[in-house]
Amino acid sequence: MAISFAHPSEAEFASLLDFYQIRWSYEPRSFPLQHDDAGRAVEQFTPDFYLPDLDLYIELTTLRQSLVTKKNRKLRRLRELFPDVNIKLLYRRDFNNLARKYGLRTAATSDV
Amino acid sequence: MSDPFPNSQASSLAGVAADPAIGKVLIAEADLAARIRELGQQISVDYGGRTLVLVGILRGSVPFMADLLRAISIPVSVDFLAISSYVGRDSSGVVRLLKDLDHPIAGADVLLVEDIIDTGLTLSYVLRVLRTREPASLSVCTLLNKPRSRLIDQPLRYVGFDVPDDFVVGYGLDFNQRFRNLPFIAALRPDAA
Repeated sequence: MAISFAHPSEAEFASLLDFYQIRWSYEPRSFPLQHDDAGRAVEQFTPDFYLPDLDLYIELTTLRQSLVTKKNRKLRRLRELFPDVNIKLLYRRDFNNLARKYGLRTAATSDV
Repeated sequence: MSDPFPNSQASSLAGVAADPAIGKVLIAEADLAARIRELGQQISVDYGGRTLVLVGILRGSVPFMADLLRAISIPVSVDFLAISSYVGRDSSGVVRLLKDLDHPIAGADVLLVEDIIDTGLTLSYVLRVLRTREPASLSVCTLLNKPRSRLIDQPLRYVGFDVPDDFVVGYGLDFNQRFRNLPFIAALRPDAA
């Protein structure tokens, strides 16, 4: 089944993982970060990729800096609440380095 | 401007070194040589009395392999492998060996020699392949380590230098097949096309 990626950079990243035969799934789990009085999750964090063989979540952050700050805050909260979850954040610069190294067609220039 | 490499072959490489795409020199030629001598001495101690095989990954590891090999004082053999690159990948769409080892490594102590470990994607694949050959041991020696870029962690037994998250070239490392012949490690300018 075709996956509908939120951003072309995610599709490129998935293609890179496929090339190196790294198994992955896309947004398989949302982590609740904040609940209301009724116990409903009102804030969640959904990492882009999960690599089951490495038990590793990866979040691509191709956003402008003002939004990265918000995402960093969410990530800190996730690490507080789920200390056993292994997650790596790829910033725009990281992704652009990947793009340059691997000749990815999509540099992380647009906002998501 | 004075010649920055007055006592080396680099004098004849001044044109390449002066390329506007080349930014700051991160590791000078003399520092590379000194560190590689240290690595060679340590490897000679650690692998004394064992059957050491150095395995290099073409093409980036060639200068490092050549210098490291000459810094090792115990009996050692050398082999190379080459793997396909994501850049210009073929229709199969997955990484594969372009050149396999020439000799079996079963029962040998294998030291994989790499120019740089950044994402760990290539290393992960190569280690998976080599483990299936049942070496007695399998460790990694990398000249450069870029830990901030790591996606897949692997234990690195020997590391020459940690480098920042710049795109680096020289001493085997290329950008579009250029700059491998620089005798030092330099940052590629961010705006280099």
